[in-house]
Amino acid sequence: MKKFLVILILAVLGFHLFEAFSGLGLGVTRFEKGVKDYYLEKTVSELHVANTVTSIVVNFRGFDTLGEVTVLFLAVSAMGGILYKRRHQTGDRSVLFSSSSIVRSGSKLLFPAIILLGVYVFIHGHLSPGGGFQGGAIIATGFLLMLIAYENFSVSHNTLSYIESFAGIFFVGIGLLGFMNGGTFLQNFLPAGVLNNLFSGGVIGIIYVMVGFKVAAELTGLIYTILHEKD
Amino acid sequence: MVGSPVLLIAIPLLAAFVIPLIGMIWKELVRIIPGLVLAYMLILSATLLYYVSYNGTIVETIAGWQAPWGINLDFSPLTGFLATLMSALGFLVWLFSYRFKRNVDFEPAKKYFIFLMLLIAGAIGIVITGDIFNQFVFIEITGISAYALTAFYTGRNSAEASFKYLMMGAMASSFLLVAIAILYSQLGTLNMADIASKMHTMNPTYKIIALIFFITGIGIEAEIFPLNGWAPDAYTEAPGPVGAAFAGIVVKAGVYAIIRMIFTLFDVPGAYDFLIAIGLITLIVAETSALRQEKLKRMLAYSSIGQMGLVIVAFGIGTHEGVFAALFLMLNHAVIKPLLFFSGSSLVFNSKKKQIAEMNGLGKRMPLMAAFFSLGAFAIVGLPPFAGFWSKLSVLSAAANEGLLLIIVLILIVSVIEIVYYFRVVNRIFFQEYSKEQSVVPHRPRINAMVAMFVLAIAILIIGFYPDAVTGILHNAAKDLMNTDQYINNVLQLGQSLTR
Amino acid sequence: MDDKLFEILEYGVYGASILLILIGLYAVLTKRSLIKIVIGMSIIDGGIHLLLITIGYLKGGTAPIFSPGYEEAAAQMVDPVPQALVLTAIVIGFGVTAVALSLIIRLYRHHHTLEIDEIKRLKW
Repeated sequence: MKKFLVILILAVLGFHLFEAFSGLGLGVTRFEKGVKDYYLEKTVSELHVANTVTSIVVNFRGFDTLGEVTVLFLAVSAMGGILYKRRHQTGDRSVLFSSSSIVRSGSKLLFPAIILLGVYVFIHGHLSPGGGFQGGAIIATGFLLMLIAYENFSVSHNTLSYIESFAGIFFVGIGLLGFMNGGTFLQNFLPAGVLNNLFSGGVIGIIYVMVGFKVAAELTGLIYTILHEKD
Repeated sequence: MVGSPVLLIAIPLLAAFVIPLIGMIWKELVRIIPGLVLAYMLILSATLLYYVSYNGTIVETIAGWQAPWGINLDFSPLTGFLATLMSALGFLVWLFSYRFKRNVDFEPAKKYFIFLMLLIAGAIGIVITGDIFNQFVFIEITGISAYALTAFYTGRNSAEASFKYLMMGAMASSFLLVAIAILYSQLGTLNMADIASKMHTMNPTYKIIALIFFITGIGIEAEIFPLNGWAPDAYTEAPGPVGAAFAGIVVKAGVYAIIRMIFTLFDVPGAYDFLIAIGLITLIVAETSALRQEKLKRMLAYSSIGQMGLVIVAFGIGTHEGVFAALFLMLNHAVIKPLLFFSGSSLVFNSKKKQIAEMNGLGKRMPLMAAFFSLGAFAIVGLPPFAGFWSKLSVLSAAANEGLLLIIVLILIVSVIEIVYYFRVVNRIFFQEYSKEQSVVPHRPRINAMVAMFVLAIAILIIGFYPDAVTGILHNAAKDLMNTDQYINNVLQLGQSLTR
Repeated sequence: MDDKLFEILEYGVYGASILLILIGLYAVLTKRSLIKIVIGMSIIDGGIHLLLITIGYLKGGTAPIFSPGYEEAAAQMVDPVPQALVLTAIVIGFGVTAVALSLIIRLYRHHHTLEIDEIKRLKW
């Protein structure tokens, strides 16, 4: 009975949503002068950044990204707080078990390559697809692989929290430097450089590298906390 | 000027990143730094509010891009008033809980202070941001800190309460994203002032769908009627000061977001009547539920929902007096409810069930706490010499000016219900005998908690005996909310004058 | 692309994203296992992200990344704003999911079950 009711409600909701959205049309220009034209124009002419998504995420809407990084930081802290146990309360039954030697050797081989790929992705965030979040996620998958392959592979919690904190402090610090130099928070105060060079876009690249470190540390911390949950 | 509005967000975030590092050096700093940051925020927002009331709204751009393109912060008499209120309350909550978890482990205490600080920073962000997606991000920051704070006690049912809150919050954020998607697809912009100026070009069907999704999305933070199922559990299971922070800070931010949508962004006809209807339903349902509660914090939670219903009704009246009354109610609720939560949680501190029945005769054992609680109870039901009286009076007069007799009658009936359930508690505290079986052992609050409660009590008395102290600020804020054109001009004009 | 095909695609993409949202909502509203509820939540998020990306699509558009020699190609690029929003929304959704999972672990520790009916002590 309840399921029937739910399906009925969902059908009504779905009908209205579909009616609304299918009326929008796919791939047409809907508004005359939206913000996106401005972004596409200024990304090349002023910021000298090739990837428009990066310039939006880090510069035009950089405040969102600061909030987003804070959300991740909060999620990691919240997870630690929620799963917190006093030391004598922890059990010893773990979800981890040792993998076969194929997985072990293979992951040992792949791990440096994955880290390298992640670093490449976040260093070139302003030139090619990708960026801090994507690169950080790739690095975290490398650590996940190692954690799955080796049951006693451990990551130092203190190191992770150093990386997290310092990256966060750098992000806000760069924002505040812009505030002191140019007048507004997160403003670009470095020379914009030449389009499609590694050192272009002023602070954008630096911030995205910081974001990459932070995301990598935080995702690794999350995975580590969940995998080492014992009861 | 001591700084600019962006520091209200940047400094707490910076402090949140610094605290884990500093905690490794000296553990006491973990408790002290949030207090310093909150005190700084209070001073900053108060000075800015003073500056704004003479020189007009501050619109701050971020990353150097003008208003419709970059994110901007809008510190007007209204948002400044709310930001000041929130940081003041945040400071008092910090003061009350300064020695919290003093005797137990260091880890939870560290997290508690980080979450508390970011909760307040997120709520202030919701209020002062001028960008709709940025508001969504701040809602999430507030939300995640709130879930974590709700689940703070490991012993109790707090994980369940928190999970419930989280599920509703996650649904809410999905709905918000759909609304943002609709708005963006129609107008091609995310800046609130830009949206407001282009709103008349939008197809009315999409307008209404977007508004419905917005109200469902934000209504969960603002505790409007069908969406407030999380609130009583979260208030009950969270630590006492956190309940005060929810009632005083988070809900205010949610109500502000709804009001900004309806007053400034969407010019949908009938939205005001909708506000009145939903506010009245919230008010009546919550107050009648409060009557049936046996746990003290649950009762306070329902009372808080009811008060928010009243605020929404007052906003729904839609005139200057109505908005003024609503802001006055918000101010009073933000001052009175934390006092009730603080003194109430001290009264039932040691009891297992936190029930009202266990408060018998505590008036003789803890006279000061009992006096604070009764002061809060008298003030919130609206007895004449205290703060709540003036705000309720102004709601009634605003409704009377518009000839909304039904609202007046309903508010009066609900006030009677409120009096019944608050006086039931006060009666138990003072006129029932303390019995040996009661599990409540008096727990004397520490000096810092006493100071926090004392400040709130003084504020109630000041507003009660000399309401003119705040009405000037409130009138300015109400004028600011009503004037949509000025809001749009402030944000978009400055963009043109500050070209790099 | 063929016009007829494109029309089908248009309904297909919007339909698929809305269908994902509905499937997720169905899971959240009817499933009794906490893990399934969280999975439903993630499916809703996925649907909404698809919806946002679809709104930014431009017929025959390219990725909003400028390559050397094509600095004037802005007119053919898809809308970058929804992509940036989705990036933010994914990260936020991830954070919420992580917190939800840790709460589930806590609940499992107390009750040794994930069925919502057996846990429910607070009134829903």
